[in-house]
Parts: sequence; structure tokens; C-alpha cells
Amino acid sequence: MGAIKVKPKLKNGIVKVKALASHEMTTFDMMQKKTGNRDDANYIEHISASVNGEVVWEASTSQFLSKNPIFKFQFKGIGAKGDKVVMTWTDRKGKTGTGKGKIK
Amino acid sequence: MQRRKFLSLVGLGAVAATVAPAALSATDWRKEKPDAWQAKTVDSAIKAMYGDKPVVEGDITVTTPDVAASGGAVPVNVKSGIDAKSVAIFQDANPESAVIVFDINKYSIINYDVKMKLKSVGDPITVTCIVEGKDGKLYSGKRTLDVALGGCEG
Repeated sequence: MGAIKVKPKLKNGIVKVKALASHEMTTFDMMQKKTGNRDDANYIEHISASVNGEVVWEASTSQFLSKNPIFKFQFKGIGAKGDKVVMTWTDRKGKTGTGKGKIK
Repeated sequence: MQRRKFLSLVGLGAVAATVAPAALSATDWRKEKPDAWQAKTVDSAIKAMYGDKPVVEGDITVTTPDVAASGGAVPVNVKSGIDAKSVAIFQDANPESAVIVFDINKYSIINYDVKMKLKSVGDPITVTCIVEGKDGKLYSGKRTLDVALGGCEG
């Protein structure tokens, strides 16, 4: 399943990545209104990207990212054309999602 | 040093070294600073995240639209040339302040785009970016915007 769409591009020694994570990203307040149970809230808590087994980008996140959040970031010093950028998120309920894309 | 003690220390070091690469390389901000994610104001969130340190203005650019048509997905970009350990984004509209914390590693370039939800509160909203420098100082950059329609009402 494409839990994350990853599009990396190499230009002038810098890899620019556009990533779209598929996730509802519900907040505590939203679930309070919807189901009456704040604990139903679920959102990505941690997301990372790696190339050849090395972490190049990572972030701890909160409920306040948009639904299906888009992340753009850049890194340098690693990654050639054809290498894969692998991304993984973990949400509040412990579920994980991954996606990868080849550097173009 | 006693030989036995020395050997046990070496042993521990070896175990730590073999475990480390499998785990995440940097701080897990959610586990280590749980209070920071509950904090209701930007100042208290920064304190919970980084400790009680002075915050100085720094070379940080925060870009948002002047007016966000919908608070459901407000694009925010942060850029900085500071030699940093981490970068965090806070705002003062939602029930809690912390939005995201990036860990910096040797490959990082501080130029991040994220889309965040912002509640419409009627007043202008300030997005604050804190860069934790390797020199131990905290730098901040701010941007104020209006949100026409909130994103947390769901």
C-alpha cells in the first residue's frame, strides 16, 4: 500500500524530496465532536526518511498537521540517481506506513 | 582500574554500539518530552521542549501565506543557515502549541515545508520557529498570518 508517496529529485548535489503521507490526522477535539471519545484521535507521531540505511530526515509530529500531510525537505552528501529514499511513519495507535521512491 | 570492571565496561559499550544503528539516531521528542506536546502556550512549550533558556532572534525565515483561505492545510516553510541540532515549529491558535520537531543530522539542509492545521481564532496567528543551535542557544523566527476558515472544527 502506498502509505507514503515519495518523489526525490537530485539537482546540483542536493536531493529534494516531496512526500505525501496518507493519513486521516484526526485531532482530539475533532474526535470529541465525532465520537465523544478524545482517545479516538489518531495522527502521525513520527516520520523519517532514509537512503541506503542512513537516516537523512526525521521529525516528531503532532495532531496539527493537515490531513494527508505533504512534507518537502532536502538533504545533501548522500544519494545518487537510482538510489531509493525510504520513508516510514508511525501513528498514535502504533500503526506504521512506508513508501519509497527512486531518486531521479 | 580493575580488569573485570574494565571488561564489563567494554562489553556494555559494544552492546550499545550494536543496538544504536537499529534504533533511531536522534531524539524521540514525543517520548522524551511528553509535556512539550501538551503545553498550551508557545512559551511554555518551548520551555518544556528545550528548558528555560533565553531565546534570541536569529537567521530564520518563516514563510506562510498572508491570509490562509482554509485552516485545514496551511503551507508553512522554514529556512535557516544556523548550524543546528533541531528545528521546531509552534503556533498560538490551536489548543496545544507544538506542531513538529525536526531532528538535524549531517545530511540535513534546513528548508522544510509542511502543511498544518490552524484554528481560526479571529485574531492574527503567529507561527514561531525555534532553531536549537549547536552552540546551545535558541534562535527564533516568527510569521504572523490570518486564517479565514479554521481547520480544527472538522
